[in-house]
Amino acid sequence: MVLTRQRPGTYKRDMPCPGIIRSLPLLTLGLGLLATSSSFADEPALNKAPTVADWIRLSKLPDWSGVWTPNISDQNAQIKTNPVPWKPEVEARINQLTAEEKAGRPKGLFVDCLPEAMPSWMLISHNALEILFTPGRVTFLGEADGNRLRRIYTDGRPHPPDPDPSFHGHSIGHWEGKTLVVDTIGVLPQTYLAVGEAVGVPNNGDLHVVERIHLLSDKDRDILADDLEITAPHVLSKPWKTTRLYFRQRAQKYDIVEGVCLQGYFAERKDASGNAIFVPIPQTADGNPAAPP
Amino acid sequence: MVRQFARRIASAMIATSLLASGVAWAHHSFAMFDFTRLVTIKGTVKEFQWANPHVILWVEPEAKDGEKPAPWFAELTSPGNLTRVGWDKRAFKGGQRIELLIHPLRDGKSGGAFKQATLPESGKVWVSDLRQQEKPGLK
Repeated sequence: MVLTRQRPGTYKRDMPCPGIIRSLPLLTLGLGLLATSSSFADEPALNKAPTVADWIRLSKLPDWSGVWTPNISDQNAQIKTNPVPWKPEVEARINQLTAEEKAGRPKGLFVDCLPEAMPSWMLISHNALEILFTPGRVTFLGEADGNRLRRIYTDGRPHPPDPDPSFHGHSIGHWEGKTLVVDTIGVLPQTYLAVGEAVGVPNNGDLHVVERIHLLSDKDRDILADDLEITAPHVLSKPWKTTRLYFRQRAQKYDIVEGVCLQGYFAERKDASGNAIFVPIPQTADGNPAAPP
Repeated sequence: MVRQFARRIASAMIATSLLASGVAWAHHSFAMFDFTRLVTIKGTVKEFQWANPHVILWVEPEAKDGEKPAPWFAELTSPGNLTRVGWDKRAFKGGQRIELLIHPLRDGKSGGAFKQATLPESGKVWVSDLRQQEKPGLK
């Protein structure tokens, strides 16, 4: 919370912030450098205990509670109406993968149970997600990959100068009115920029995603829109702007359930001593699961 | 000790080969199924595997001319998505009579994408269509 310390009163976490602070990363980095040359040099960055005021501020944010189910039809339509600006050499590969899928020979991009990662989770998932607000943080929780979650820091911190790459990258966010603006870097270059479960290419590094996430309108408060701008200089010829929509569900039967992807590789059996155990499901030569005994 | 270690290595190798070779499995496209065709399988439920990322229902077809055909699998979406359209892991029990409707594998193997299942004893019909979830405030 360097900013709070340097200029008390001008920036409070989880609140819409003034324009000057919106160009946060550079400004904060600058202030951070100043701080490191002063008496703060040896002070470790802390996640401060939230105050009552912090919790009260959260109550002023838009209501994003409930479970959000993706608009799958719109995901598919967007690919046709707002095509991805692939680089020409990448487009050839994408066309080949699309043709293979059409011919009934889909290439499995996610058959190893590794996460769909950012931004493909937001682009192509058929599974629901929920969003939690806590002081200094917005957390997206999904299902199906086992560890499908995004931590978006809204406490004013900058990105690390060289973050360790991860599946969902390093995300910082701030509120502009009722819109959460999220900036994500540090995504593993091996993860797919995908437009379907069988069509996509590794992002190959330097991926940068800016999202503006908001309720669609005052009238459509039960639709969440994620306006994405995806910059992937090794595979895209220019940034790709696209939107994904989610529907709010409040019935408890829509609650998120645990989703451990690898569980599907195991059958529930009993061992000789009567213990409940998982046994790997064998696979036939053509790649289909073998019938249970 | 050595034997135990060797066994562990062996089981790790089996698991690795499973993961490496998975094609029509795990989290994948459904393009290997022919959605222009429907096949009906009458038989009994062999096993209902309620697990991520894709639930699988195994059905043993009725014997024909005294011969017992190979079991068929019907592949579905994830437990989470099925829960939202009213399913749970008790939807099918081994031994239940069943009439299964699937979009078959294009390669002619005994499997398909689940379309509908009817349990003649109770008259219960199970369907799974994620497009049903494409509006807010569902009950």
